[in-house]
Amino acid sequence: MNQNFEPKIIAFLCNWCSYAALDLAGTSRMKYPPNFLVVRVMCSGRVDPQFVLEAFRRGADGVLVAGCHPGDCHYIEGNIKTLRRMTLLKRMLEEFGIEKERFRLEWISAAEADKFVKVANEMFEQIKALGPLKLKEVNTHE
Amino acid sequence: MGEEPRIGVYVCHCGLNIAGTVNVKEVVEYAKSLPNVVEARDYVFMCSAPGQDIIKEGIKKHNLNRVVVAACSPTMHEHTFRSALAEAGLNPYLLEIANIREQCSWVHSDKEAATAKAKILVRMAVAKVSLLEPLEDIKFKVNKNIMIIGGGVAGLSAARDLAAKGFNVYLIEKKPVIGGNAARLGRLAHTELELKGIDVVKELSKHVVNNPNIHVYVNTELVSVDGSVGDFKIRLIKNPRYVNEKCNLCGECAKVCPVEVPNEYEFGLTKRKAIYLPYKEAYPPLYVIDPESCTRCLECVKVCPTNAINLNQKPEEIELRAGAIMVAAGHEPYEPPIGEFGYGLSNRVITLFQLERMLDVEGPTNGELKINGTQPKNIVFIMCVGSLNTTPNAYPYCSRMCCASTIKNALIIKDKYPEANIYILHKDIRTYGRIDEQLYIKAGEKLIRFARYGEAPNVIVSPNGSINVRFFEETVQEEISIPADLVVLSVGMKPPKDIDKVRTIIKVGCGPEGFLREAHLKLRPVEAATDGVYLAGTVTGPKNITESIESGSAAASKALSLLTKEEVKVEPIVAVVNEEICSGCAICIGMCPYGAIRLKVQENVRVAEVDPALCKSCGTCVAACPSGAMQQYSFKDKQLKNQVAAAFIG
Repeated sequence: MNQNFEPKIIAFLCNWCSYAALDLAGTSRMKYPPNFLVVRVMCSGRVDPQFVLEAFRRGADGVLVAGCHPGDCHYIEGNIKTLRRMTLLKRMLEEFGIEKERFRLEWISAAEADKFVKVANEMFEQIKALGPLKLKEVNTHE
Repeated sequence: MGEEPRIGVYVCHCGLNIAGTVNVKEVVEYAKSLPNVVEARDYVFMCSAPGQDIIKEGIKKHNLNRVVVAACSPTMHEHTFRSALAEAGLNPYLLEIANIREQCSWVHSDKEAATAKAKILVRMAVAKVSLLEPLEDIKFKVNKNIMIIGGGVAGLSAARDLAAKGFNVYLIEKKPVIGGNAARLGRLAHTELELKGIDVVKELSKHVVNNPNIHVYVNTELVSVDGSVGDFKIRLIKNPRYVNEKCNLCGECAKVCPVEVPNEYEFGLTKRKAIYLPYKEAYPPLYVIDPESCTRCLECVKVCPTNAINLNQKPEEIELRAGAIMVAAGHEPYEPPIGEFGYGLSNRVITLFQLERMLDVEGPTNGELKINGTQPKNIVFIMCVGSLNTTPNAYPYCSRMCCASTIKNALIIKDKYPEANIYILHKDIRTYGRIDEQLYIKAGEKLIRFARYGEAPNVIVSPNGSINVRFFEETVQEEISIPADLVVLSVGMKPPKDIDKVRTIIKVGCGPEGFLREAHLKLRPVEAATDGVYLAGTVTGPKNITESIESGSAAASKALSLLTKEEVKVEPIVAVVNEEICSGCAICIGMCPYGAIRLKVQENVRVAEVDPALCKSCGTCVAACPSGAMQQYSFKDKQLKNQVAAAFIG
C-alpha cells in the first residue's frame, strides 16, 4: 500500500439537505481531506447509477451519494427511489470487483455537518487502506 | 447550441475568507488555461457592486456567453450573480458557481491543497457551464393569503402589519391561547408605565382579534405543505378544545374537576385542573380541556350552565391556500434537569421565569416574594444557566435577554424589599445596546453585588433545607460561599420542542442547536432559504420582546414584497422530454410524486409530457428513464457527466 496515496472521492449531494450540511461544515470551520469533490443535484433521486459508474471509470477511488433522511426529502420521496437504485448498484459494483467501502449512500440532514465530516473521514481512511481503485479492463474503453 | 462557448471565470477573495487559504491569483491563471475560457479575473468581493460590474463589463467586452463565479456557496449568491448576468444582457442560467469557500477555503488549512482543490472545482464548473443552455423563468400567479405559524409577539406583530395592508392572514397557534411566552412575563424593563408582558400581548391582540383580515386558529397544528412560493397548499389539524363559544367563563367546571396537574402557565408554581382557563386575560377567552389529564368523569359537563362542554368533539381537518408562509414558532425556556444547581431539590431554587410569575401581582403569590411564608433575605442569581456551555446540558450560545432580565428583576426586588441582599453570579454581563446598560449602572447604585464565576457554581442543599452557593470568584481569585434563602437560575432559551416537525414539513434548515436558519444571517435575516418562507421572532435564536416584535414587522414587510406581486418567477430547471427518443414506456410517470408527467398521443405514438407548472425539479424521473429521453434543464446527463469527468482530467 502506498503511504502517500490520497484517495479522490466524488460526492453527489442533494441541494437541500446534504449540500447544505457540507456548507454548514464550512461555516463551522470543520476539517476534512481536500480530495473531496462535490457534484450538486437538486435531489439524490437525480443521481443516475451511471453517474457513479462514470465517476469510477474516470478515476474516482470512492463515491458518495447523499440525500435527505427518509421522510425528510424536499421532493417527498426522491430519496426512497435513490435507496432502491443504489441498493441494486451496490451489488453490481461488488460483482465488478469494486470493494463495498468505495461506495456509500448516506442520509445527511442540513444540520448534520458533523455526521458529514465523520462519513467523509471514514471513507478516506477506509479507501486509503484499500489503495487506489484498479479497473484495468474497464479503463481500456476510453 | 451551435455557438462556441466563450467563458468568463471570476474568482472571489471574499476578503481573506477565500484568499487567506486559496492562492486566488494562481487559480485565475489556471482558469485562463482551460478550454473556452476567454477571461479570468479576481476581485476582493465579487458580490459587491464593483465586483458585479467586473462581470458585467467582461460579458460585454469579451462577448461572453457563459460565466463561472468561484466564490461562496450557490445558496448564498447564485441569485446575485444571475441578476448580474441578466443586467449585462446574458441569460441568467448560463452561470455556474464553484463553491470555493464553504467547501474549500473554510474546511482545508493546507494552502497548497486548498488551491489545488479550488482549481479542480473551477475546472468542473467550467466543464458544466460550457454545456448549459439559456432558460426562461416559469411564472405563477401569487395567492394573496399568508399563513403565520405561532401566535406569540412576533407572529402577532406580523399579522397586525400584514392585515393593515389588506392581506388575509391565517394565524396558526398550537396552544389553546395566543400570546406565547411574553404573556407570562411580569413587569418589563424600561417601561415607566409598569407595562407587563401580558399588556404587550393585549395591545398586539387588539389589532388581531375581530380583525376581518385575520383568521386565528388556536389548538391547531401543521400537517403538510405542498406547492411552492406563491401557492402553498396547506393542511392543518385543529385539535378539539371540548369547550365552545358558549363558555361564559363562570369557572364552575374547574371547581368540580377532580384532576390537578402542574400549571404550565405559572411554570409549575401552582396547580390547574384538567379543564382550565390558561390565564385571566387569555385569548380566546374560553376554557379548554387538556385531553391528556382529563379522566372523562363528566362532572364539568353536569355543572356547565351554558352547555358549552362537548367531550365528543373530534379533530377537524382544515385546508388552506397561501402564497407565503411565516414561521414564528418561538422558543422554550431552558428547564434545568433535577439537581442542576439544586433545581428541583428545594423550593428555594427557582428559575428566572418562576420569579417573574411570583413578582407579578396577578401571579400565584400576588407579587409577594415569599418562600414557605417568609421573605428571603439573601438572594443569589446564577446567570447563564442553560447557556454558554455552563453545564454539560447547556447550549453553547448566549441567550441574549437573561442579563437585562435578571438585573431588572433584582431591581424590582430591591425596590420592594430594600433589606434584601442580592448577589448576581455571572460569567459576563451583556447588557448590550442603547438602554440595557442603564440597568447595570442602576444595579450598582442600589448595591446589588456582582461576582464573576468561571466554573459553574455549586449549589449545596443541606438536609435541613439551608442552601449554600459556593464558587470561585474570578476577579478577586477567591473561593466564596454565600448562604442563600433563595437561588434564582437565570435560564436561557432553547428551540421549541416540535420545531423539527414543522421545519421538516416546510423544508427549512436549522443550525446544530436546532434554531431555524436564515437565508443569510446579515443580508436576509427574516427569510428562509426556501422561497416564500419567512422567519420571525425567537425561532431563529434568542431575542427579547422588542427584537421579536421588530423581526415580526420586518418579516411582514419582506412577505409583502412577495404578496404585492401579481406573479412570481420559478427556476425553470424542470424535466423535459425528448419526444424523438421517448418510447412512451411510462416509467417516469410512476416516479413523479407531483403527478406532473402524463402520456400523450402524438402522430399515433405515445410520448411522455411534463407539465412545467407542476414539476418541482427533483430529476427523479430523469434518472429512471431507460432511454435518456427525459432530461432536466441545467442538470442534463451530459452536463453532469462532463462535470464529473473534469474532476479527473487535467
